[in-house]
Amino acid sequence: MVEVSAIGKKLKKKFPKAVTKVKTFRGELTISIDKDYIERVAKFLCDDKASDFDYLSDLCGLDKSRLDSSDTFEVVYHLYSLKKNHRVRLKVEIPASNPSIDTVTNVWKTADWHEREAYDMFGIFFNGHPNLERILTPEGFEGNPLRKDYPLKGRQPDSLREVYRKGKE
Amino acid sequence: MGIETTFGDNIITTQIDKVVNWGRKNALWPMPFGLACCAIEMMSAVAPRYDLARFGAEVFRFSPRQSDLMIVAGTVTYKMAAVTRKIYDQMPEPKWVIAMGACASSGGIYDTYATVQGVDEIIPVDVYLPGCPPRPEALIHALMEIQKKISKESVLDD
Repeated sequence: MVEVSAIGKKLKKKFPKAVTKVKTFRGELTISIDKDYIERVAKFLCDDKASDFDYLSDLCGLDKSRLDSSDTFEVVYHLYSLKKNHRVRLKVEIPASNPSIDTVTNVWKTADWHEREAYDMFGIFFNGHPNLERILTPEGFEGNPLRKDYPLKGRQPDSLREVYRKGKE
Repeated sequence: MGIETTFGDNIITTQIDKVVNWGRKNALWPMPFGLACCAIEMMSAVAPRYDLARFGAEVFRFSPRQSDLMIVAGTVTYKMAAVTRKIYDQMPEPKWVIAMGACASSGGIYDTYATVQGVDEIIPVDVYLPGCPPRPEALIHALMEIQKKISKESVLDD
């Protein structure tokens, strides 16, 4: 779609160092962003009247270690504009050894819980997050379940199961 | 049950057994711990077609303090495990537990990090009911098994 790729061009003109790759596939625009610029890019895309991305549909983490043996994580943002009815996908690569990225909760409030989920499942730290805590795993759970090196049938440490069996006071 | 035990093991206690067990098994008040899909089948077991009220289990109290049968219907995750235990502890004696469905009996198809592999890891279970989900008639069968179990109990054992 013509309008959608115009967003990519505009973004590249405004933040030339931020945008690493712009890809269009079957009408879907995917922009790869450098991780230091994500908050500025997010704010620009939300405030700019031409793009007007006021709705963050999804924010998720991705473990690419089995995909291309690069030992990186990725954070994927799906943005939607309620007024203009167009979508864009932002992908940010972060190193797996030190996964941290700026939060976008100041731009879209819904990122709060999505980032907590990415933190819980992958261990990605979001700098500036108001309340970065576990959200899906129970208290005392060790590990980040959705990483590729976490076993599917991974079990709780036995000490935790005793807590459940005895009952919490 | 205190004073009956002074009679010892004779006809008086066996007749008391019969009465007490008859009362308990024909007025089982379930505490439906519906967590997932099995809860739907439990609801349909209480609905008019497969009426569970005929067996005395009419009063589906959602309060553990007023019930004596806990039907764990659905997948128990580790996050919910602590709550399950708490609800079980809040039920007064005598109490029985039906693990309804594959997930409550053994973890079902979810052999993963988040699912308790059978609710008997947390609470003692009397009747396991396989199925995914078990039909309402199967739940009625499980209730009847609990009734059979209750009729074998005695005031003399603790």
